[in-house]
Amino acid sequence: MSPTATATRPTKKAAPAPASVPGYAGKLLRVNLSTGKIWTQPWAGDMREYLGGVGLGAKILYEEVGPKVHWDHTDNRLILATGPLAGLPVWGTGGLTVVTRGAQTDGATSTQANGFFGAALKYSGYDAIVVQGQAKKLSYLYINDDVVEIRDAAHLKGKDTWETQEALEAEHALSGHRMSVYSIGPAGENLVRFAAIQGDYGHVASKNGCGAVMGKKKLKAVCIVRGTKALRPHDPRGLVQAADDIAHDLKTDPATSTLYRWGTLPGVSNLYKLGVLPIKNYTTNLTTVDMTTWEPAKLRAGFDHRGHQCNACGMHHCHIQVIGKGPKAGELVDEPEYEGWSGAGWQIGLTDKESITWLNTRLDRACLDVNEFGWVCGWVMECMEKGYLTEKQVGFKLAWGDVDGAYRLVQMISHREGFGDLLAEGVKRASEKIGGEAAKCAVYTKKGASPRGHDHRGRWEEMLDTCTSSNGTMESANATHQTEIGLPGRINPFNGEEVARMVGGILGRKHFEDSLGGCIFTFRTRVEMLARALSAATGWTYTLADAMRLGRRTAAIFRAFNLRCGIGTDVEYPSPRYGSKPVDGPAKDHNVMDQWERMREVWYETVGYDIKTGKPTRETLKTLGLDRLAKDLWRK
Amino acid sequence: MEVTTWVTKHVGGDGSGSKVFTEAFAPGETVRDVLRRCSARFPELDAALWSPDRAELGEHIEVVVNDAVLGVTHGLDSPLKNGDRITLLGQFMGG
Repeated sequence: MSPTATATRPTKKAAPAPASVPGYAGKLLRVNLSTGKIWTQPWAGDMREYLGGVGLGAKILYEEVGPKVHWDHTDNRLILATGPLAGLPVWGTGGLTVVTRGAQTDGATSTQANGFFGAALKYSGYDAIVVQGQAKKLSYLYINDDVVEIRDAAHLKGKDTWETQEALEAEHALSGHRMSVYSIGPAGENLVRFAAIQGDYGHVASKNGCGAVMGKKKLKAVCIVRGTKALRPHDPRGLVQAADDIAHDLKTDPATSTLYRWGTLPGVSNLYKLGVLPIKNYTTNLTTVDMTTWEPAKLRAGFDHRGHQCNACGMHHCHIQVIGKGPKAGELVDEPEYEGWSGAGWQIGLTDKESITWLNTRLDRACLDVNEFGWVCGWVMECMEKGYLTEKQVGFKLAWGDVDGAYRLVQMISHREGFGDLLAEGVKRASEKIGGEAAKCAVYTKKGASPRGHDHRGRWEEMLDTCTSSNGTMESANATHQTEIGLPGRINPFNGEEVARMVGGILGRKHFEDSLGGCIFTFRTRVEMLARALSAATGWTYTLADAMRLGRRTAAIFRAFNLRCGIGTDVEYPSPRYGSKPVDGPAKDHNVMDQWERMREVWYETVGYDIKTGKPTRETLKTLGLDRLAKDLWRK
Repeated sequence: MEVTTWVTKHVGGDGSGSKVFTEAFAPGETVRDVLRRCSARFPELDAALWSPDRAELGEHIEVVVNDAVLGVTHGLDSPLKNGDRITLLGQFMGG
């Protein structure tokens, strides 16, 4: 196939190699789809402070995407970045962070996926790909070391993400781990606002409509042949020691040993006991289903399954499995994460395990975010049950637990057919458009970001995080080993002040993790251990305090970006249903809104931002070494 | 008292499912008293449940009393009444 544009081969005109920093490739790959120009940019100067992944992406986004460049503008950037640990022998280091201005909030986005992309990118000689412009026709990006080409993707049009990967593997006669492919399915091509980017059969950068951004750029896929460039850590022995300690910690620490053994499967039965499993669109927290059948061993044993590990990973987390019974028997599917069991299952009243695994994979293949799909589909189901939406409006009758109906909705949304065209805007916009009683049933944040697949009325930390975050999803994420930074080991989950101090106190940790090129699950160890691995990889010394400071820098940059885009404090609220009082179950009668304003006050105080304007204070910015940002934010 | 998930490893289980014990207690005894007596029978549970100085709970096991996490309807020093259910739920990450 003839490329439509080809990168400059190494010649005397090539950019000079930067001073080599161990652990890094030292180059960014730049692609302008409008002009077909492809070039490399040396990267070395500010690695120590921006690290890579989300840290690097936030910097580029802030510097290159202005307030008038909305998510669907050709000048928006789609940054596919990895970090200094990617491709090195630390568990789960195939990490990809996608940073862009996303379609749901029209604000900053960072969302992660794993597989092999990050490692393949580093082995090809790049720390990140920065895509700008818009191709004239559907295209894909092919990377094979120094050969980088924008190729015609007409033959991939309409294919789902698994079909796209299969087609590209066949086209290049490469399979397995020899080529990593991240692509969009029909939902991305049709600019569904909650379209995701899916890769390597089951890994999804799902948040804030990054797949719609890719679709707008007419970029169907990025495929990277596993490259041939050597990666050299500064201290190989020290790195292996740190990696071994991390692995040991994951296997033996009480908090992570279930992740090591079962991935996120324990979430269903555990969270049900806490009233955090969303059931039928937040209408109940109780079920008559025997929850012992949802314990992880039983969930996994119900399928013919095998490990589907990411780069250099020793966890028993990701699995591929075959459906053994029922109408979908024989289909190869990805074992759902907790979020899949939740969004493609319990949230829509579906508890048949085979049906959920099937629907979950169909969502991945269409490239729809399973969380937002759950909120959309559950909303339609509830509204039809209550008569707020009619069969005539929707086009067919959709009841709780109807997997075939839910899949019909997947197709309608992905192709923007009929009522699916409105639903493709996400539940916030769809419910606002319909109005009336229907609008009161929708679960969303006023900012537009999708809540994760929990009932946050029993987990206030995540509701506060989702509503105050600046990256289109949770920014602090779950507290992990928080005692190492002086926070309490446990809090009262319904004490707003304790909740807010925890959420604000851990801000920065996840951004640090997501800057390194690894996996959220294999990095659920102590930050000090990650800092040791990073120090061994790069030769620079990082401490726990450095790690938290660098993560908070990224949060402050995203915050500044969003404020510049007009996303302020007025939208830091849950929708009425999202912030409602549970009617039954373990969180019954706990009303988060009674404490919401106090929670916000404590959160702002803890993170060092000004609650009136939403801005990080001058003092905070100075502490973070972001004086330049202070000039942008606080100039008269 | 129900012990669930990986916590069952500390009470003779295989790290999954749940194990249920019936604990007798005197009038006025608290959640702490019952947890102390139960964990005294299982040294591994004792180490996992309490902080290193054994004064307070550690951070990795959630204690749920009658479907509400500790701190909501009961504290460690709240008295128990007949029929109360205590669940030890292993902290899990991910989602």
